[in-house]
Amino acid sequence: MMTAITVPEDLWEGDGEGVITAWLVDDGSEVAQGDLVAEVMVEKAQYEIEAPVSGVLTIAKQEDQVVAKGTPIASLEA
Amino acid sequence: MAGLLDVSSMTLQHPTVEEGLMAEEALLDMICQGEGEIGWLAWSPSDRALVMPRRHERLAGFPDARARLEEGGWPIQFRSTGGTPVPQSPAVVNLALAVRCRVGGSAAHLEWGYHRLGAPWCDWLADLGVTSADLGPAPGAYCDGRFNVRVTGRKLVGTAQRWRRVRGCRDMALLVHGAMQVDDTPAALVAVVNAFQVAIDDPQRFQGASHIALRDVLPDLDLETAIPGLLKRLVAEEDIAPA
Repeated sequence: MMTAITVPEDLWEGDGEGVITAWLVDDGSEVAQGDLVAEVMVEKAQYEIEAPVSGVLTIAKQEDQVVAKGTPIASLEA
Repeated sequence: MAGLLDVSSMTLQHPTVEEGLMAEEALLDMICQGEGEIGWLAWSPSDRALVMPRRHERLAGFPDARARLEEGGWPIQFRSTGGTPVPQSPAVVNLALAVRCRVGGSAAHLEWGYHRLGAPWCDWLADLGVTSADLGPAPGAYCDGRFNVRVTGRKLVGTAQRWRRVRGCRDMALLVHGAMQVDDTPAALVAVVNAFQVAIDDPQRFQGASHIALRDVLPDLDLETAIPGLLKRLVAEEDIAPA
């Protein structure tokens, strides 16, 4: 089963965009639910993104790409 | 303890830049592990470094820039909060505050976090007689943002944050950090950041006139006795973000 990793809607207020500053695990890695997988920065604030479920990671948005809240940035294949 | 530093001490501590940054990380970890709802640190480095988020390591000219800055006495180190390069030296005082936030839905927590740090900082300055302090951008300053502590429109304190979900629940842990230039001329620290800009072949240059040092407005202030007053104001604020 495929599960999307999205930029959570509640990370920051307003409609401003963030940028993916780091992937903390490699494309194709196996991650556990709750693992920190990415960092997004907006307004000099770094937010950590967790894996919502366990699975194999496929990255869809690369480092330095601009993302809005709710944007799918990767998927996890359980 | 956070490494060699005392967490939530009311005194100004003097670690190396590396020790100070590690202590700030430990502060956030402490909140994330549920070992407290608030913690803080005030520290001024005993050495020097140009500190930036790790993503700068991906810049094409970074290895050469790192070597050049190190030769000039400014080794590069990385921090966990956002923004761009900032010099750390004995001329800088850092305050870090970590709090557990019960946020949800559309809570305005990014701005809340900056005001949580910046508002008591402005009040502390007003108590010392600096009544023009406010929060806002300082065009031309390095690592500029919307929530610097400014004096007469010039950047005195740069601010940044890191947010992490508290393990096992919806609460968030916030680390909000402020770096205040207390000594040296603004031009001296701006020159360090501009040297990095040159080394990575980035045409943007920053202006000393966009910064101000605490010594410029309070030349006789004894920091060791004044910083506890700032910490008391910081800790006395309401700790929980609006839900």
